[in-house]
Amino acid sequence: MSIIDIIVAYKEGLLSGLLVTLKLCLIIWTLGITIGTLLGYLGSRYKVEVGVPTKILSFVLSGIPALILLFWLHYPLQSMLGIVVDPFWTAALAISIINIFSVADLIRSHLENFPAEYVTAAQVCGISKKDAFLKIELPIILRQTIPSLLNTQVNMLQITLFASLISVEEIFRVAQRINATIYKPIEVYTALAVFFLLICLPLNGLALWLKHKYTRNTSEH
Amino acid sequence: MNKNMLIGKNITKKYGDNIVLEDVDVVIERGKITTLIGPSGSGKTTLLRVMSLLDHSDSGTISIDGSDYQHPAEGEDAILPWPKISVVFQQLFLWPHLTLRQNILLPLSGDKDLSHMEELLTMFDMNEFIDRYPNQASLGQRQRTALVRALVLEPEYLLLDEITSALDIEQVAVVLKHLQMLRDKGVGILIVTHLLNFAQRASDQIVFLDHGRVLEAGGKEVLTKPKHERIKKFLSIIESAS
Repeated sequence: MSIIDIIVAYKEGLLSGLLVTLKLCLIIWTLGITIGTLLGYLGSRYKVEVGVPTKILSFVLSGIPALILLFWLHYPLQSMLGIVVDPFWTAALAISIINIFSVADLIRSHLENFPAEYVTAAQVCGISKKDAFLKIELPIILRQTIPSLLNTQVNMLQITLFASLISVEEIFRVAQRINATIYKPIEVYTALAVFFLLICLPLNGLALWLKHKYTRNTSEH
Repeated sequence: MNKNMLIGKNITKKYGDNIVLEDVDVVIERGKITTLIGPSGSGKTTLLRVMSLLDHSDSGTISIDGSDYQHPAEGEDAILPWPKISVVFQQLFLWPHLTLRQNILLPLSGDKDLSHMEELLTMFDMNEFIDRYPNQASLGQRQRTALVRALVLEPEYLLLDEITSALDIEQVAVVLKHLQMLRDKGVGILIVTHLLNFAQRASDQIVFLDHGRVLEAGGKEVLTKPKHERIKKFLSIIESAS
């Protein structure tokens, strides 16, 4: 059985797994980028009230492997609370937490390191605060953050594979099932690798292109 | 009496225990070029930032055309004299995501006549590189851009921090000629420079600053016939070095 034969024969299962993975990603990306950006902004603006607690939480989270967090939320926490949550939502929550703090860290550090002199130069030119933010601060910060943000989101997509370990029927788990039935590991996992390459490579390429383009244009000297 | 002047009076500024400016008096008159000279770390740039209200002073007053101004506290909305006072920084601070032309155009309001900008671009020989980004331009090209960005706003007081440091002799002459033209139009100009020759040629008045204090202020005699020993020593060191 070739890779194409496997894809054709198991297209329904693969498609369903693909949809679960994409749905998981959509939730993780949306929550991570919106809440993370907000948290990062608040952290840079209210350094003591928001910035410090966020930094501490982020530091603690960085020491916990994603898999441990996922398992901890899936087994011990639910056991302690006496509840049962659908593994899909547990995975979405665990990876979203990681993404939120990664994005918040990224945004906060870029905001904190933004050269205030660019705004000063705008002020002495008589540019209003609003225009200075919209036409100078925001475009520069976006150019600086978007490449790293894209890389982070690609990492999150790859982390979704861990969801298979708590029985989420995402694409990796579907591939495992197919392989258990037909035992064609080379073909099955090559197809899976190709799938991830098709999604991750363009995103990584875009991040690299943006980084090259904008890092070049935002370094004054 | 003070109608056409930018005056800094009894300016004192400290960073912790370090006194950067101590009881400094500076007067920038319209229609005159004032040059601020002194060794590195003497407080020249700090004084320029205080005079342009970009930094606060611990004591003293800044008055512009007879009205007193205060550096605003953070978050405070105050009426500030920009771009009536315009500043060109030593580090330039061109916006890196915009081309040099866009850097000049951004502060201009939409209905502004661009012929003045075009004249300046031609005068400073900038048409060849004006559509480059700052990182694609040489330091001299960026210095000219920062200067033109301030000049197109037609400021009444122009404060310049080491703006000729990367220019060749020909460009320094062009800048000097233009500054003299602005002076003749009634613009008050303050130049921070370490180029004594440029200071002598450009200045109507010279202020010598050392360790945050004005040692001597006056006409060109501050450089040609200094009274203060520290200035004599400074000039002799410069002379022997050159």
